[in-house]
Amino acid sequence: MSRNPFLSTVVFLSFLLANVRPAGAQQNPNIHVVVNMVQLNVAVTDKSGNYVTGLKPQDFAIREDGIVEKPATFAEGNQPARSLTDTPQPDVATTPSNDVPGQIDEATPETLAALANGALVYILFDTSNYMYRGFVFAQDAISDFIRSLERADKIAFYSYSRDLNRASILTADRSQVLRAVRSTVAGDEAALYNALLLTLKDAAKNKGRKVVVVFSNGPDNSSVVPPEDVAEFAQDAGVSVYMISTQTAKLEPVSTAVFDRMTAATGGKAYFAKDWKDEQTAFASIRDDLDHLYSLSYYPKPNPNGGWRAITVELVGDRYKKCKVRTRKGYRPRPSRFLTDNNPTVGGLIPQ
Amino acid sequence: MKSSVCLSIFSALLLIVGESGARENARPATPPNHSAAAAKSSSAGSASGPPQLVIPGARRSFLRMAAISQQITPDEVLPLLSRNVFIHGYEGTSRETEFLVLLRRYVHQARELAALAAKSDMIIRVAKCDQAGPLLRILGFRASAGCGDPKISLKTEDPEKGFVTIDSGFPLPELEHDLQTDKPFEYPISSSPVPVLFNETDWTKASAKESKTDGKDLLDTILDDPGVARLYWALSRMDPDTSRFLQSSIGIQKLLPYGAVLDFYGREICVRDGRVQLPGGENAEPAWKELVGASPASPASFVFRLLAKDKGWLAAYFDALSRAGGRQQAYFTEPGRLRQFYEGLRAPDPSSPATRGSFRPAPELLRIVTRLQLNENGDPLIPGNLDVWKDILFRGHESQRMRKWAARNRSLNSPDQLVEILFGLSRAPIESETLQVYMTVSEIDGRRPPGRHLAPATVRLLARKFAEFGDQYPTFAEFPELSDPSIALFFDAAEKLTGTPMFMRGNALGIFQANMGIWEILARQEQISTSQLDNSWQQFIKPFTMVKSAADLFDAGRTSLDELVQYSTAKSKASQDEIIELLAGPVQESAEAKQIHQDVANQIRSVMDDQRLVSLDTILTIGDALAEKAQGKQPPDYVNLLAGQTHEFEMPRPIFSNGERSEWAAGIYNNRHTDLQMHSDIPKVLKSPSATRSQIDDARGQLASFLRDTVVGLNYAYYEPPGAQALHNNPLFVRSHDFAGETLGGLRTVWQAPIILGQGSPAGGGAHFVGSLADLPYALADLEQDFISPENTQALIWRELVPSVLTAAIVPRWWNVSPLELHAIALYQRAGEELLTASEKDEALRGKVMPILSGRMLPPETWKVEQALRSGQILKLLPQIMPADTFYLAAEFQQEFPDQLAAVGDAGRELAALCRDHPQQVNWSRLSHDFGTPHPSMAHSYGLELLNIKPMPPMAGDASRFLAESWDSPNLYWARLADQAGDSPAMLTEIAPELTRLMVRKIFATDLEDWPALIRAMHAAGEDFQHGKLASLTPTPVGPVKQ
Repeated sequence: MSRNPFLSTVVFLSFLLANVRPAGAQQNPNIHVVVNMVQLNVAVTDKSGNYVTGLKPQDFAIREDGIVEKPATFAEGNQPARSLTDTPQPDVATTPSNDVPGQIDEATPETLAALANGALVYILFDTSNYMYRGFVFAQDAISDFIRSLERADKIAFYSYSRDLNRASILTADRSQVLRAVRSTVAGDEAALYNALLLTLKDAAKNKGRKVVVVFSNGPDNSSVVPPEDVAEFAQDAGVSVYMISTQTAKLEPVSTAVFDRMTAATGGKAYFAKDWKDEQTAFASIRDDLDHLYSLSYYPKPNPNGGWRAITVELVGDRYKKCKVRTRKGYRPRPSRFLTDNNPTVGGLIPQ
Repeated sequence: MKSSVCLSIFSALLLIVGESGARENARPATPPNHSAAAAKSSSAGSASGPPQLVIPGARRSFLRMAAISQQITPDEVLPLLSRNVFIHGYEGTSRETEFLVLLRRYVHQARELAALAAKSDMIIRVAKCDQAGPLLRILGFRASAGCGDPKISLKTEDPEKGFVTIDSGFPLPELEHDLQTDKPFEYPISSSPVPVLFNETDWTKASAKESKTDGKDLLDTILDDPGVARLYWALSRMDPDTSRFLQSSIGIQKLLPYGAVLDFYGREICVRDGRVQLPGGENAEPAWKELVGASPASPASFVFRLLAKDKGWLAAYFDALSRAGGRQQAYFTEPGRLRQFYEGLRAPDPSSPATRGSFRPAPELLRIVTRLQLNENGDPLIPGNLDVWKDILFRGHESQRMRKWAARNRSLNSPDQLVEILFGLSRAPIESETLQVYMTVSEIDGRRPPGRHLAPATVRLLARKFAEFGDQYPTFAEFPELSDPSIALFFDAAEKLTGTPMFMRGNALGIFQANMGIWEILARQEQISTSQLDNSWQQFIKPFTMVKSAADLFDAGRTSLDELVQYSTAKSKASQDEIIELLAGPVQESAEAKQIHQDVANQIRSVMDDQRLVSLDTILTIGDALAEKAQGKQPPDYVNLLAGQTHEFEMPRPIFSNGERSEWAAGIYNNRHTDLQMHSDIPKVLKSPSATRSQIDDARGQLASFLRDTVVGLNYAYYEPPGAQALHNNPLFVRSHDFAGETLGGLRTVWQAPIILGQGSPAGGGAHFVGSLADLPYALADLEQDFISPENTQALIWRELVPSVLTAAIVPRWWNVSPLELHAIALYQRAGEELLTASEKDEALRGKVMPILSGRMLPPETWKVEQALRSGQILKLLPQIMPADTFYLAAEFQQEFPDQLAAVGDAGRELAALCRDHPQQVNWSRLSHDFGTPHPSMAHSYGLELLNIKPMPPMAGDASRFLAESWDSPNLYWARLADQAGDSPAMLTEIAPELTRLMVRKIFATDLEDWPALIRAMHAAGEDFQHGKLASLTPTPVGPVKQ
């Protein structure tokens, strides 16, 4: 009898929390945990920086906290994802593993369908005072980038200064996105990390491959959330962050550090463009990256670690020794018992 | 200062600018009906209407460039343009800002485009790709490839022009598409006629920079001459009859030097039937005549002298008194006092103009006239007695000039003299502490019943401690049940805790204030009975007066918390979940209310989880185990497991090294508190069989830091603003609260309301609070507000407005409100509308209605109502009237004419019956308490109240919150929606914050006083709710709000 492995992958386990309740306290509720899938965007380049294509699932070795994980799905570039296993390995850790939507997707037919499509690209454009001088050229470059994203599934275009403006929500209609780009107005303070957090949260609500491309001049003078929390959220949500900035940002060491490190942590890249032509080159490079990303997923094996879980992806075999692998560095399961709009991490744990 | 008008140069472009959705159709189906001549920017009067000025180009584009909301009507274009020019257009007196430079560039480009379109019926036509050159040159773009190339795109050629093209919203993507497909591009250059106030020549001739001679027009005059712009704005905001009278009697030229006075203080000036309407009415007329030096019956002379006298201070006085409520106004305008108080106001510094600065000076003047507490005889209520104030006044920490001035008033013999001095203190260049003390203490005393007023010793105490603890006083104002000893006990504990060693001070202040916050919540939700408020206050505070060590602190915090539980549940202890249930509100009976209660509790839990705080249960269990260990009893294994949780917290993965943080966020990044927690000895001590008594005590002391975070977390979670993100995504947010002022050198006092540190400092570890928990709801709303995304392109969240508006939705809870009350709230609003509708055809009724409304509305707004009533257009105007105004109208009318309300309509009839049958539930006082909002800035209290004051003007400093706090409408409107939807009052606890957030997203205002924009946003949010567009809020489907 044929069976759809992805319908059966939602396994409910009930277990008692490990911690012992003090006398007089309310009994812990039994918790159900939905076993989910961790999804990775992986870029592989050779020593010259060229993309390595044609790799097979068996060429990859995935470890989570040193535990070898078995790939569940695999895709290269914009090819449809294919299943590699019929039976997922549930996480039966006593510490509740949990999920940001997108970080660990439930393996449903919808998820697979989402994986089969191209990436969902969120573009976040800095319209603060810092961008004023190069504003029009930046718009030109972004417009070109959007036109060039022929294979991306859907694109969203947001802009930010002190507040986030969702100029065009996720759509396949390129002309709508282009109109949104040209509708932006420059000015006000810059709250990059606030805006990036909100953008990531929007991206995390979707299934499938997601990337955020930020065009920013760098300085942030208004955010209330720190970049490390935003970077963690991106990693938890499995969203790769790419950042294009200008030389102005390069002169500002804080932004340089954040852009380099945050993008590296999420499996993305940072670019510092000298001029508008350089900006276009950077966009072209991101587009190339999207076309060559491998998409892998796995079901975490039992892992008692309730904190940060480090992910490493390596290539198997000597001939790939000098290749570089870029993907997110890990994630943090976020057990949270209570569903709120503000907390899309919720949903995995269901109080009985 | 965080005023929008003081934002950087480009901010003006985006204060509100935006588009509410689809762009204006770039290519209408029918050609525009504009001749080439009409497109030329010029004024054009029509035979039937007012004179008009033609704005070059599309109105939408012009509004974008002029930073004006797209939702305004044509008659508002020139006034708002004038406002933005004088506020945002110049630095100093003559240096143009980038805002004005860009606006000029736009006008130039629009005229060039108009000239291009003039050749073809005001339509820009590009028949073929190779004809696009002239247009592209104007726009500052070029084609990236030759015609015929399907990949052709538009690239910036001239960035200055290109910026204007984009900023003004030229349909560039459409042009690009037509070039790619080689289709004809057509774009109508629709000119935009807008009404002119008076005649164009009134303004162009009056301007010192007259520019008509070289073909320029009123638009150029406004752009060139900020003085004209300001006067234009000022006169536009007055009631039209009065401004026209001033134009015809005094003339624009003579008024020009007084543009600033009229701008700040002109809106209350009203000329009717040949007389100036006076605060205080006929009784005050002789005194005003003497003060001004002209009779109100000679309005031109009166107004001119009013504006000119004392550098605008008399006009400021006139304006302030016009805004006072009935009782206060009667007191201040008593003929003898009118002059006396004016002298008090004028004398301290006659040389300083009343128009200096971007905001009106002496903002406290408005607080004095609206909030001075009067006794039952109409005299000032003097807390303590005059002798007390003699001492306080002359010991005040005022400037030298103010002290010198006050010294002349040493013979303080009457309350009026004291008030006179208050007027003088309002002129202090830096906020007068003495005035603050008086206004705050009188708010505390004013709420106390006769026989329970503050003792003179307590007044002295409050005054003496004000500098350090003044921000905590709203608690005393909110809960008049607190006795003098209770107030004294607070100071005793607070001072002792402030004096604890630095290593434990932050924990001491945090635990104490957090428990105090929990007491306030339980008291406000009536879970601690009124009769027990004073006792419970003393019992939760007393343990803190005996703290000597960190271990004592832990014990005190715990005992104090147990006291709160005891007073609100009659149980001796409660788990964290039970305390959360308690904070969520009183136990509910109905299934719906129970569910809402559960939602509120879960929301609190979600914050506690996301902050990764150690559970109270765990902390207390470990505390018990340590206490037993001190007695020689080894803890069971499970406690050791629990103790491990104190080390479970992981810092976010670092992006910066310690060295980088030191370099880039010196003084901001400080996680000493968390570091200490992560390295605590608690697990080791628990396990160690040889732990000494001292080590065990130290471990209990270390638990205090965890206790602090958890109880502080409960406070944060309770006041979570809608849409909050920092609370859910920065797990260090609660832990980073700096109670002891370790991260900020210049902190005035650790007891002050929290200030935000670390905003916009990426290496600083995220924004956090420094200071106390006073004003926490506002502080959280202030910090989280920018996570609300405006719906309109580039519209911003108004910082002067939004935190207070959010606070008003967060603090009230409606657990103890009856459905009858909810219904009454709706009926009052509907009855107010019925009164207005009936007044259309009933002049006698109108004569009763309008005086009531004029007590709440500014003259320009009353004028609109009057006009609408006269012209039979009141139904059209109703949606523009604030719900609080119609509510007030019906309530006052019922008070003054109790037998007549039933006759005006169904709602009036039903309301009159309710008032008769249930007077205790639907009276003003009860409804004001249950549906009012907190006014921590204006009234120094988080107590809920409907203030009934006219809208406040924008001001600077602490007074910047007055404006938002003077807006009471949203909760009344949400209540009306809930009633109509058949929802229970408890549902408002969920609805109000969400609808308020939605409303904030929709605000599309040009300036802070754009009340119509707020009303529009409120109605739009309500419509979304009614149509079920809010996933989280699902009302019973109903029709529109009944009018």
